[in-house]
Parts: sequence; C-alpha cells; structure tokens
Amino acid sequence: MNLLELLRLAVSRLRTSRLRAALTMLGVVIGVASVVALVGVGQGTTSNITSRLASLGTNLLTISPTGGSTAKPLTLEDAAAVATIDGVAAVAPELQTSGTVAVGTQNETTSIVGTNAAYADVRAYDVWQGSFLTDPTVDSGLRVAVLGATTASNLNLDASAIGSTISINGLPFRVIGILQPKGGSGFNNPDDEVLVPLAAVSKYFVGGDTVRTIGVSVASGDRMTEVTNAITALLRSRHELAATATADFSVFNQTQLLDAASSISTTLTLLLGGIASISLVVGGIGIMNIMLVSVRERTREIGIRKAVGARGRDILAQFLIEALTLSLLGGVIGIVIGLGVSALIGQLAGWGFQFNPTTVAAAVLFSLAVGVVFGVWPARQAARLDPINALRYE
Amino acid sequence: MIPIGAAPAPPPIVALDRVSRTYAMDGVRVEALRDVSLAVAPGEFVAIIGPSGSGKSTMMNIIGCLDRPSAGAYRLAGMPVAELSDDGLARLRSRTIGFVFQSYNLLPRTTALENVATPLLYQGVGRRERTKRATAALERLGLGDRLHHEPNQLSGGQQQRVAVARAIVTDPALILADEPTGNLDTASGRDVLAVLRELHSTGRTIVLITHNAEVATAATRQVHIRDGQLTDGWMAA
Ligand SMILES: Nc1ncnc2c1ncn2[C@@H]1O[C@H](COP(=O)(O)OP(=O)(O)OP(=O)(O)O)[C@@H](O)[C@H]1O
Ligand SMILES: [Mg+2]
Repeated sequence: MNLLELLRLAVSRLRTSRLRAALTMLGVVIGVASVVALVGVGQGTTSNITSRLASLGTNLLTISPTGGSTAKPLTLEDAAAVATIDGVAAVAPELQTSGTVAVGTQNETTSIVGTNAAYADVRAYDVWQGSFLTDPTVDSGLRVAVLGATTASNLNLDASAIGSTISINGLPFRVIGILQPKGGSGFNNPDDEVLVPLAAVSKYFVGGDTVRTIGVSVASGDRMTEVTNAITALLRSRHELAATATADFSVFNQTQLLDAASSISTTLTLLLGGIASISLVVGGIGIMNIMLVSVRERTREIGIRKAVGARGRDILAQFLIEALTLSLLGGVIGIVIGLGVSALIGQLAGWGFQFNPTTVAAAVLFSLAVGVVFGVWPARQAARLDPINALRYE
Repeated sequence: MIPIGAAPAPPPIVALDRVSRTYAMDGVRVEALRDVSLAVAPGEFVAIIGPSGSGKSTMMNIIGCLDRPSAGAYRLAGMPVAELSDDGLARLRSRTIGFVFQSYNLLPRTTALENVATPLLYQGVGRRERTKRATAALERLGLGDRLHHEPNQLSGGQQQRVAVARAIVTDPALILADEPTGNLDTASGRDVLAVLRELHSTGRTIVLITHNAEVATAATRQVHIRDGQLTDGWMAA
C-alpha cells in the first residue's frame, strides 16, 4: 500500500469521528502553539537586548562615584587623566541634570546632559541634522544644544530648527544639531535628552567642576579588563585611597551586563520552551490513548482486513499514519496559533514580529516525532492481533 | 481441464492430514476438530455438511489460514502452512483465498464498493482498477444499485451478497464460503449458488459450508462432519 492510499484511509477514518479527532489534536495544538509562541517571545526579547547592546556604544565603560562621606567626586581632571591611559580611545565626562526645555508654547521636562565632543563616539550617537558638539564650543562653554530625536519630536522641531533658539531652564540656547534615533522607549529612553557643553551645565545649572559619570570608550573589546584595572588604579591614587579602603567610584561594563541579560533571556527561552514542550508530550499521550482505544474498538475491522490479505505492516502503517495525521495536523494548527500569539505579543512589546523558519521547521518535526513516538505502540498492538481472535472479538 | 481419473492426479489444493483443533477454556478442553483428513483437488466443488456446532467454521478457519491446527499438518496449494510466517500467511490468503464469512464481516462505516475493493487494496491494485473490478463483482451479485451504501444501510441478504462479491473480486483459486445462503431467500440463495457454480465452471475450487442438505447438492462432492469428525471415512485422503 502506498502512502497516498494510507492517507486516504486515515483521512476518511478521521472524518467519521471529527469531534474525537479534533479533541485529540487539541493537545498537540496547545503544545505546539505554546512552544512556538514562547520561543518567539523569547527570541524577540533576546534580539531586543542585542539591538540595545549594539546601540550602547562599542566597548563602553562607565565610571561613576559610589558616594560616601569621605568620597571624593569625579572631576574633569579625573576624566583628563583617564584619557591618557593606554588603550582608552575616547573619554566623555557627563554632568546630568533634569531641566525644562521650551520652544514657543511647547515645553518638555527632559534630561540635560553636559558633555564634550567625544560623547557621540563613546555613546554611539549619529547626527541626523546639523552638527554635534565640537571641542571649541565645549571649551568655551557656549550655550548650544544638540537634541535627542525623541526630545526634538516632542517639541515639534525638525531640520528647520537648526540655528533657532530654545530655552533651557529659562536660558536661551542655540540648536546646532538633532540626533538619529537609537530606538528605545519608556524609562531611560536614550533619545530623550538634550546635550550641551559640560561647562554650560556646571556654570548655569549645577555649579562646581564635578561630573556625574565618565564614559570611556576602550580601543578594543579584548582590552576591557586591562583598561578597567588601569582606570581603577589611576583613580585610586588620584583620590588618595589607602590600599585597604573601598573605592569611592565604580567602573561599570554595561556591555557585560547586557551580555548577561541576553544570556539569561536565552536560557529563559529554552526553559519556557522546555516547559511548553511538556504540554506537547501530554498531547502526544492523548493521541496514544485515543489510538489505543481505537485499536480496541476496531479489533474486528483489523481481523477483517487481515482475513482479506492485509499484512501486519499494512495494519501498522494504517494506524501509524492515522496518528501522524492527527499530530501533524495539530502541529500545523498549533504553529499558526503560536505565530499569531507571538506576533501579537511582539506588537504590544514593541519589538515587532520575526518569522523564524527554524522554529516552524522544528515544530513540524517535533509534532511528527510525537506522532511516531506515541503512535507506534498502538499501531504495533493492532498489527500483532491474531486474525481469528480479532474476528471473534465483540 | 484435467479429466477426472486421469493419471497423474493433480496435487490437492487443500490437504488436511489428521488435523485437530482443541480449544482450552478454563481447564475445559473442547475438541472442535478431531483427526480430520481431507484432500480437495483443484477445480473441485466440495460441500461440508454438518449440524450446528460440529466444527464447520473451525475447519474453514484452518483451511483459510486464519487459524492453525493444534495437531496434524495442513498444506495449502502445496505449501506447509505451519512453516509460514504471519506475513507469508497473509500473502498466501491474499493471493489464493476468497472468504465468505458466516457473519459477513464487512467493514463498518465503509461503502459496499470500498468493502469489496479492500482485498484488491492489499494486493496493490490501483484505485481505478479496484473500483472497476469491485463494481463488476457487485453487479454480478445484483448490487449494482447499492455501490455506495454502507453495511448498516443494507439488508442482511444484501450484506451477504457484498461479502460474496468481496470473496470473488480477487478471482481467487479457492473460495471458502461459510453458509453463504444462510440469510437469503430461496431466489437470491439460488443466485449466489449460481455464481459459485459459475466460478466452479471456470476452474475455481469451492468449499461450501452448510447445514442444509439441499444447498449442498450444488456441489460435486459432499463431506459430512459431526462432533468434529468427518463421518464418511472413505472420503478422507
Ligand atoms: N474460540 C472458541 N473457544 C472455545 N470453543 C470454541 C471456539 N470456537 C468454537 N468453539 C467450539 O467449537 C465447536 C465448533 O464450533 P464451530 O464454530 O466450528 O461450529 P459450526 O459447525 O460452524 O456451527 P454453526 O453451524 O452453528 O456455525 C463448538 O462446540 C464451539 O463451542
Ligand atoms: Mg459456523
């Protein structure tokens, strides 16, 4: 008997008991759908983290003060000293405050970051319109501003705004540039900020020559640890810390953190997928259960088929194909539902929908495997029935 | 056709040699067949006659390779059945034998046409050819207008005729019919017997099982069975 004949038999059989077939498939449908959806969501999260990672800036170290009564703040001199360390590509001290930016009747509360020209390299920003802060403007503490993409759009500013004047905390600043969006959202949106020369922030808004953080771009990824150690040693001596004292600053490798987050997310994806595949196994057991019942109910049919010439393997194939049809059909329905759900979640969470053919192929193979694994035993039971006993079975 | 009595005699298609079949149930042993020896030559039309419970169906199951003897030897078309595997038996059945069961044994929820076509399916015959041959077999039994009826939409007699059609559709060398007229009125019973006689005239071997002496007259030879034993000892091979 060829596959087509077997499929025809299986389909006509399943059509005579549609409700039962549907309920049997339901287990596999739920199993496959949850695997596909959870893996899809997991991959969405991971790729979201990865894209954030790329937008952070390459090989970024962030130095920040840890506070404490005897702590010395970070200063511009500290930043200048760090810049001399071998392996440091660029250093951008940052002094951040929150302020109100106003244009005409529009006003927005956002974060005002005082920094220097290296900031664009260190934090991986690209200029969309106009220009970035330059060394001369920074050195002279001019009242110029570069707007983050979100801030600009919140204030209804576009390319024509370059050269116009906005007010920051009541003081006029000239807009010299607008940044490319990095793509982020909600809290800590990297596109919602206004960049001004560091001297302007310390002079007009904060006072003093301390800085909040120092961003350091390391020349290459494999020198991160070396440079971190060098910075630590340098700042400890500059802050005159005893060898036993705890540092009053920290050197933080954000890439590492996000790497960790991304690997946690991958692990979580595997874990969720694993849990979901348990429901697939349960679905498979459902198929096995129904197939066993079916073999019992159809004992006489099996006897008749054997009497008119079916071999054991014909019966085996018939029942196996029936189980496979159930599991594969359930798998396909499950994939459609699972993709739908992960698309919906992706939409809501804002990372969009990624169609992953590998997941789909894996799900199809998995449901086939479920059909084989849980269909073989009942099918063997059917194939091994003795024809005369099967014919006598009531 | 080989003339009867000519030498050498053709080897028998069915050869039972002191075959017994014992059922053991809860310690009670029922000897359904005892030391039965029977040879049926190709082209014969043999009627096996006996009262209810005498072992007729048991004998048919053994001849049809659905069951194996508890003792004794059986050769079908020269093949020692005891030495064949289950698959070998299935192939032998499929190629050689057509069954008409006492209780029809049609596939439920399956049309008459598909029921009759099923033996062809296991012979690997293509779908179109199957339909053609199954239709012809059903028409031959006067069921041309019932092709797409399922067993539960057919009368007992019609189901029996579907069973006969299924037995002849593969054009087997040996047809085993267990009470094929049991549920038919005289007229359709006669039709079924006519079909069997016609098959016989084209060289098929027929073994007809019945408790009805009149039906048995359709056969060219009669064998009597009682309490699991053949009573006409001179018939034994
Ligand atoms: N599976 C079985 N287990 C135990 N005993 C059986 C079994 N099948 C048949 N028998 C017994 O064997 C004997 C012969 O049965 P069989 O079915 O061959 O009779 P039969 O001649 O076909 O009768 P009928 O004309 O009523 O169909 C009976 O006594 C029956 O009870
Ligand atoms: Mg009987």
